[in-house]
Parts: sequence; structure tokens; C-alpha cells
Amino acid sequence: MSELDALKVALKTLQDKALDEFSNAESLQALQVLRVSYLGKKGELTSVLKGVGKLPPKERPVIGQFVNASKQTLSESLEKREACLALKEKQVRIEAERIDVTLSGRTSSKGSLHPVQQGLNEMTAIFSQLGFDIAEGPEIEDEFHNFDALNIPQEHPARAMHDTFFFHPDGDEKANLLRTHTSPVQIRTMKACVDAGGEPPLAVVATGRVYRCDYDVTHSPMFHQVEVFKVDKNISLAHLKGVLQHFLSAYFEKDVPIRLRPHYFPFTEPSAEVDIACVFCHQKGCRVCKGSGWIEVLGSGMIHPNVLKSVGIDSTVYSGFAFGLGVERLVMLKYGIPDLRLFFENDVRFLRRMGA
Amino acid sequence: MKIPLSWLKEHTPIQKSVEVIADTLVRLGHEVEGIETPRSAVKGVRVGHILSMEKHPDADKLHLLSIDVGEVEPLAIVCGASNMGVGDKIPVATVGTSLPNGLKIKKGKIRGQASFGMCCSEAELGLAEDADGLLILPKDAPVGDEVGTYLALEEAVFDLDITPNRGDCMSMRGIARDLAADQGLPLIEPSDEAVQVTESVSAPNVRVLGEGDCPLYTACRIDGIKVAASPDWLQARLLAAGLRPIHGVVDVINYTMLDLGQPMHAFDADTLSGDIEVRLAKDGETFVALDGREVSLDASDLVIADAEKVIALAGIMGSDQTGVSESTTQIILESAAFKAAKISTSRRTKGLVSDSSMRFERGVDPAMIRVAMNQASQMIISLFGGKVSETTCVGDAEAVIQDKHIQVSMQRIEARLGVDVPESANDVLERMGFSIVRDDSQADTLLFSVPSHRHDVSIVEDISEEYARVIGFDAIPAVMPPLASIKPRKVQKTVESAVEQGFVQVINYAFIAADDQRLFVPDDGRDLVLANPISDAMSVMRRSVFPSLLNTAKYNMNRQQTGVALVELGRVYEGPMSQRKEINVMAWLMAGELQTDAWYEKARKADFFDMKGAVETWLTGRGLTARFMVDDDVQGFQSGQTAKIFVGKSVVGHVGKVDEAIASQYDLDTNVFVASVNLDLLHAGKQAKFQPLPEFPSIERDLVFLFDKTIASESILQAVRKACGPSLVDAHIFDLYDGQGVPDGQVSLGIRFVLQHAKRTLTQEDSDQAMQAVIEAMKTHFEAVLRG
Ligand SMILES: [Zn+2]
Repeated sequence: MSELDALKVALKTLQDKALDEFSNAESLQALQVLRVSYLGKKGELTSVLKGVGKLPPKERPVIGQFVNASKQTLSESLEKREACLALKEKQVRIEAERIDVTLSGRTSSKGSLHPVQQGLNEMTAIFSQLGFDIAEGPEIEDEFHNFDALNIPQEHPARAMHDTFFFHPDGDEKANLLRTHTSPVQIRTMKACVDAGGEPPLAVVATGRVYRCDYDVTHSPMFHQVEVFKVDKNISLAHLKGVLQHFLSAYFEKDVPIRLRPHYFPFTEPSAEVDIACVFCHQKGCRVCKGSGWIEVLGSGMIHPNVLKSVGIDSTVYSGFAFGLGVERLVMLKYGIPDLRLFFENDVRFLRRMGA
Repeated sequence: MKIPLSWLKEHTPIQKSVEVIADTLVRLGHEVEGIETPRSAVKGVRVGHILSMEKHPDADKLHLLSIDVGEVEPLAIVCGASNMGVGDKIPVATVGTSLPNGLKIKKGKIRGQASFGMCCSEAELGLAEDADGLLILPKDAPVGDEVGTYLALEEAVFDLDITPNRGDCMSMRGIARDLAADQGLPLIEPSDEAVQVTESVSAPNVRVLGEGDCPLYTACRIDGIKVAASPDWLQARLLAAGLRPIHGVVDVINYTMLDLGQPMHAFDADTLSGDIEVRLAKDGETFVALDGREVSLDASDLVIADAEKVIALAGIMGSDQTGVSESTTQIILESAAFKAAKISTSRRTKGLVSDSSMRFERGVDPAMIRVAMNQASQMIISLFGGKVSETTCVGDAEAVIQDKHIQVSMQRIEARLGVDVPESANDVLERMGFSIVRDDSQADTLLFSVPSHRHDVSIVEDISEEYARVIGFDAIPAVMPPLASIKPRKVQKTVESAVEQGFVQVINYAFIAADDQRLFVPDDGRDLVLANPISDAMSVMRRSVFPSLLNTAKYNMNRQQTGVALVELGRVYEGPMSQRKEINVMAWLMAGELQTDAWYEKARKADFFDMKGAVETWLTGRGLTARFMVDDDVQGFQSGQTAKIFVGKSVVGHVGKVDEAIASQYDLDTNVFVASVNLDLLHAGKQAKFQPLPEFPSIERDLVFLFDKTIASESILQAVRKACGPSLVDAHIFDLYDGQGVPDGQVSLGIRFVLQHAKRTLTQEDSDQAMQAVIEAMKTHFEAVLRG
């Protein structure tokens, strides 16, 4: 056998052996070792080429082509095997990394806004969008702002109905009190405007805590009110009705029929109590609406000229409407909360469930 | 105010259904709080069938009945009537029933014989005017059925909430007037026939001092009456209207008040001496009211007096001594007008309320003074005999019933209501008693005469309300007013951002117990104390939110919570009253476990740094940077775990651990952390401003030192910042270790530095230099040794 043939046979044997080992390699790592041992600079194929020097020059290219072809074959085989093994290893890894995706995610425990706060936020937002300014006032008030300026003189029967908390008087001064409604903010806001040389239009929403000396299943000694008023030229009862209709539908997030009933408040004339169609029975009559289909939600009216007078606004030029509502009551109606006391018990289970 | 339909019908011939009447009343401004029927008042009274009847062995007038009421066993009942017989159907009030007269039926023994109920007359059921024996029901009445249901009683009683401006509607006549006007029905006038006067009975002498408070006082004397119980029909009426029958004279007076709205009073004439005087009380004068209470009077009280004593607090209550009793034979009847404000003041200062004061305060129609006097004396003599004197009348009877006049611009009315007023509205108002005259000189002006029963109407705006009532609010359109200009406003998230951090917002009462106040606030006399608190536990305005939060924590921990994170937004209140402050605060509380055990993390108890971190994050969210400094002197806090919070130069609050003794008072374990921030001291905070992102890379370096444990990390970092110079972007403690290898009293702190230059890439030398400066600063300032 010529040197050439012998080389060819050796190459062939080498190639077969390599291909066999490649296909038996079980890891990318093992395959890498094989690559180096066959195709590396000091690899077996290279060492076969070392025998080329012994060949006559004429035959050298022949064996060169032969070796290159063999290299090509081995490389291709290696790549194929590599791809195959890579895929396998990936699958093994994926299986190994399999987790229970139904386990709970990492969360932190959730806080919540108090439902009353949420109600306050929702309500003020509605009036903000209508261009009403937001105002606040003190909770410890004097009789002037809480009563007198609101056309509720000392001997007025309505004054007795307010169940007022009083403070011990400070020396000779008149006893101060905890405001029984947010209406004093009306007085303070209008007066501040007039005192600063301003004049209507005024459109204000005021919110806050109010106090009544009354504590039972349906009364809390502290609750929250939202007070809304607008004073301008030519403000009418129709405007009051328009704003009420808009507000109540916006708050309850649906068209709610409303009903105004004549009523009496010293600070408005005419006065009206406002009912909404019962949200529980759709006016078929139920326990909550006492069968009437209507639920009382707030008191309203056209600001009494005496109130405007007390703050120095000319009632022959300007008129205005005002209304005040109990926040807890509206929140209870919107979310079907049965008991006022839940708001101030502050059970976090209730607060988390109801809060946003 | 309870209005029985049959009584209402005596004033106007209304034929509408109960529902329509109720709706009409509501539309007119008389809120219907309920509609009762006697049917519900006699619940438990059933149709009984008399099976046997025999004489009571020990009492001649009593019978022993055996009555089938549809139960398995017949009932044995002892009965005093005699108009029944075996086989009759009768109403039987079974055990447990409450009859309209207030009698509650119990199982009992009458003269030794057991009785399991009561057979009833019409009167006992409150159904008829009088009753002679039992009510015998038709033969076919179904045994065992409810009698009220069986008789299908149609009489309804409206329970109305009369607004305080409508004293005139606290009577059948007043309600009937509104209703009749609206429905176009006539209002039936009370009898005009004067009572027969006996000349020989001398009319009382009356003097009125200060007629401003008593513009009209009338009185008459009735001699020779025999006071008895009033007839059943009258008692039934009073009961239906919610008043308890007392005796004849009082019942007639109450009946007249309910009927016509005029409160009256009757004195036992034999208890009076000398003339009647209407005057202001003298300071120190006292009288014992009908309800038995002794009242000290003062010069603000208007009283009725005789020559010796006060006999009534005018318009409110008579004296006990001069009241009419069953043995009274001569009476003096009073029917008068008193100034509303006067009555109101005495009612308030003396704490005496009566049906009379309720009406006088709200305004009574003086036109009824004479009518009521006539009606009541007529009823008294026809029911209880006696002779009536002339009526003494002091005051100008004509003047008190004078109409008021108001000039009304219809254009103003329509502008106020936002609707055109139809002509027909005037017809209704005229039926209500207003008279309306068109002013020919001014096209849209009407001249209104306001009748004497409408004290509440005095200005144009009042007339606008009358129109609104008559037209109906439903007829007024809903129109949006022109939009005001919207002023720009920054929406500040306050409690909202704390909630995002996992806190549950709570809202507590603003008043707490004085003892709770003392836990966090010294007794310095600056508490604001309520004069009339609900209870001691709600008696002082809180100066700290912590007691409320601790209470809330306790409430929840007692309900199986393992931990709470609470936040409250509210006010605290500080005296003295003349310099009172209402301060807006945010307050936090953390207690117990932060989270329940989870598969990825075990529960951990809250500590100081959880609380502090929450406050820091919250302030950062508002664009504010806070500094914290040790404060060992905060009441209610544990020293060593408490810091004051600085924003800018002011202390805005504290954060720290609640004193263990206080925590345990609230049944809380020892680790309770709280914080509060005075919102009024926080300035607006910096608005985020754009800054170009750094162009050059930063370098991160770590140094670890041994420090004395007493050195605050805040001062270390301050020194570090100074030493490092302007290239320092951030320095923070990344490691804290005081375990093995660290000498006692020392702590190993790892500080991580981030260095960066705006204009160039920092070199190794730059950072080396900075680190070297730090090492030297630490050595000079704190004798700190660089570790490893
Ligand atoms: Zn309903």
C-alpha cells in the first residue's frame, strides 16, 4: 500500500472513529473536548497532516483536499451534535426550573382609604370639575357663625334640634361649641370674600367633621358633611335642581331619579329636602325606604336673604343656593353599608374590604 | 304630629285614598313619617266563640267563659260584661296583647279564677266613641282571625313631621287647610255659636303687665262642674293622636289644642286667690310645675300669677298646686297669645317642654283664641255640667289677627324659582288664606295679605316658597348654572400616599377620655373640655391622635389581627379657648407583625425603622427631606427609640416606640411604634425639576470602619459628605455588624460611596483621594479605625 493510500485509510479510520465518538457525546462539554482532540491545533487530524511531508509533492494536494473534506465533515457533524445537545440541555434546564406558578405572588399587605375619605374625595372631585373652590373652616365655632349668621337666633326652635356640644365658657365669654354643620364655612367664606373687597360669583364646596350630641344606632356624635353653595346674579332653584341632579348621578355612577320636597331650614328660603329613588328596591318599596320608594339624602334651598345680609351681600342683586349632606349616609347608600357605627369602629377587616 | 283621618275629615270633606293624601301632604312640605292604622294597634285581638258561660262562684257580676279562639284548647276567661251569651262571637285580647289604652294583657287570677285573656268592647279596642258591654261580632266571623283584619278598619293615622316654622299645622285644622286648598275643597269652619253665658258667674279679673310678651289674654270661669273621665270617643281620639287621656277637663283642653291649634290651660279656681296677673317673674321666685319639678324663675320668664304665687309658666306649664283634679268644681280657663321668643327662652333655660310650648314657640294662630275658648267651654259644660262666665279679654283682639302686607314682584319670584308661575297657583294660595291683589300701577307686582296663622311668612322670599310648594318642586326644571372659572389648584395627596404604603386609614372621634389625653400630653390646663359630653370617655378634645390609634389597635388586635398598620388624618385641638388652635396632623401606628407568614417570607415584627421609613417615604413623596434627631424627652415614648422629625428648621413631629406601660394598658405587646407630623408646618415641598442625566460614569467605593456605638450614623454621614467634597453623589450605610470580632461598645459600619463628576470621568486617583480624606476625617472626628 502506498504511503498515500495508507494515509487515506488512516484518515478514514480517524474520521469514522470521530463521527462515532461525536454521536456518542452526551454533553456540550464532552463535545468540546472532542472538538479540541480532533480539530484543534494539536488535534488528531492535524497530526495526520504531519505525515504529508513524507509524500511526493505531486500527491500532497490530493491528501490536502482529502483532509479538508474530512475536516468539513467532522465540523458539520460536530455542529449538528452541538445543536442537538444544546436543545437537550435547555430542555433539561427548563424542566429543572419548573415552578408552581399558582403559588401566590410576592405582595405587600394592602392599605386602604377609609370609605368616608373615599366618599369625600369622590364628592369634592365632582364639584371641583364644576368649578367649585374648596374651603375649610374651624370645628370649634362660636354661636354667631354656627347659628346667628345662619338666621337661627337664640330662641329659634331649630336651634334646640341641633343637639349642640358646648365647651365650658372661658370667663365672661359666650360658650363656644363644636360646629353642628358645615354651614358656618358658608358664612366665613362669603364674609372673607366681602371683607377683602370682593363680590360674587362664589362657588364653594366645604367638607369636614361636624358634631351632634346624639349617640345611638343611627346617630354618631361625629360625622362628616359636605357643604356646597353658589352665589351669583340670577341663581335660581332650577340651578339648585340641576346641580343636585348632576351631583347625585355622578356620585352614584348612574342616573338616579331625584325628588325635592318642601321643607324648612332657617338659612334657606325656599328650602327642600332631597330624596333619591331607593337604590335598594328600585322604587318598588322596601324596608330601607319604608315602602315609599324614596330615600332622603340631603337638605337644600335658596340662601335666605338674612344670611346674605349677615355677610354683607346685597340680596336684591345676588341670589344663591346651598346644600349640605351627610357623607356617611351617602356612602352607606352607595355601598349598602347597614350600620353607621361601622365607620368609627375602624375594624380593619371592614376598612380593607370597603376601602380603595 | 298624629293626624287621624276621621278627625281630618271633620275639617275638610276629603275623599281621596290614604296614599294620595300622604303624597299630597309630602308635596306640601309635611313629611309623612308613617301611616298607622288601629289595625296594627290591636294586633293579638282575635275572634272568639263563646262555648260556655257560667257565673263566677265568688263574684256576682263576673262570668267564667270558655272561649274558642282557634287553638287546640279553649281559653278560660273571667269577664265582667253581661251583654253576651253562649254562641256569640266576641273580640278576645289574648295574652301578650297591648291594647290602644296601654293595657297589656297578662295571664291572671280574678277572685281566685284563672283568666287567660280579656274580652273587649269597641272602646277598649279604640274603635268606637262609647261602648256598653262587649263588641258582639257577626255570627259568621271566622274564629281565631285577627279582629282588626276582619273588620277591615280603614281609619288611618298620619304621623307627620311638622317643620318648626309651621306652628299652624300642629292641628287638624291647620293640616286640613293646606290639604283643602291644594285639593280645591272647602275648609269647614268651627262652630260660631257662642256658649251660653251665666251672668251670676263672675268673670275673672286679669291684669297684663308687659303686653309685648302677651298681646292677648282671655279667661273665663266655669262653676259647678263635676269632673269625670271623658267619653270613650274623646279618649279614643286623643289616643289616636298620641296623647294619653287624663281626666275630663284636661282631655277637652288637649282635644281643642289638637283640633284648632290653640293651647289652653285650666286652673282650679278654688286654689287661686285674688286677681290673675300676667307678668315677668321676680328673681328667686319658684314654682312647682305640674310634672312635680320645682323651678327657679328669673326676670326673663313670663308667668301667670295670682295675688300670692306663680300659677303657671306662661304657655309652658301650670303649677302642680293649681291644676284641675277630679275633685275640682270651679275652673278658670285660659286662652291667650304669648310671644314665641319668650316661650322659647323659658323653655330652654328652665328645661320644661310641653305640647303647649311646642306650639307657642312655633307660632299659634291668634284667630283661634276666641274660637277655642268657646269650643272648649261648650264641651266642658255639655260633658261635665257647670255655668260659664263672660270671658275677660285683655289686649287688642283685632290687632293680633291683623294681616301683614307684602309687595311681591312676580319677576323676582320667577327668577328665584327658575320657572314661570301659573295663574292657578294664586287660587291655591288664596284658599290657604292669603289674599292677593294686583297692583295696577306696577305690572308685575302683587300685593299679598298674609293671614294671622302664617307667622312664618314675612318677606318676598317666603312667598316664593309658598309658590314653590303650590306649584310643586317637580314642576321646576333642572338647569345647570353657568360654570364658574376653574381656579388652578394643586391636588395634594396626603393620606392617599400613606395608604399606598400599606397603611389602613382610620377615623376616630375628636374627643377622648381625659385619662387617655394624659398619657401623651401633660396636664397644663390647655385641654378643651366639653360641657355636655356623651360620656367621660368622649369629654376632652384630643391633643394627640395616639390614644385614638392605640384604641383602634387594641380593638383590632382583639379581633384576631396579628398586626396593624394604621394612619389617621385629622385635627388635634389645643386651648385655652381664647387662643385655641386646630392643628391638622397625620399620625401613624404600627404594631405586631408586618405581614403574615408566606411561603417566601416569614412574618416579621414591626420595628422603629419600619415606622421611620414610612414617614421618610411619605415626606419624600411630598418633595420634602426630613432629618431625625434623638429625643429622649417625649411623653409617652420610650427614650432611646424616639426621634424628633425635622423638616427645614422646624420640628414637625416625632417618631418612636410607645412606652411599654402605655402599650400594655391597651393590651398591646411591647412593640408599638407611632409617628405624627404636623401638616400645618410642612411647606409646599420642592417641585421636581429636570436635570440632564450624567454623561460620565460613576465610581463606587466601600469603606468599613469601627465606630464607638454612641456615635449617631447621621453625624458620621454628615462628616463623610463634608470630607468627600462635591463629587460625592451618595453615601449610605450598607452594612452594620457588632457580632464576633467587634470589640464591646463598638460597631462596624460599612459605608458605600458613589462618586461622580459632571464634566469628566473620575480617575482612580480622584476616588483614592476622596477615600483618603474620609479615612482621615473619621479618624479625627470619631477616632474610627478602618477595618480590613
Ligand atoms: Zn326601597
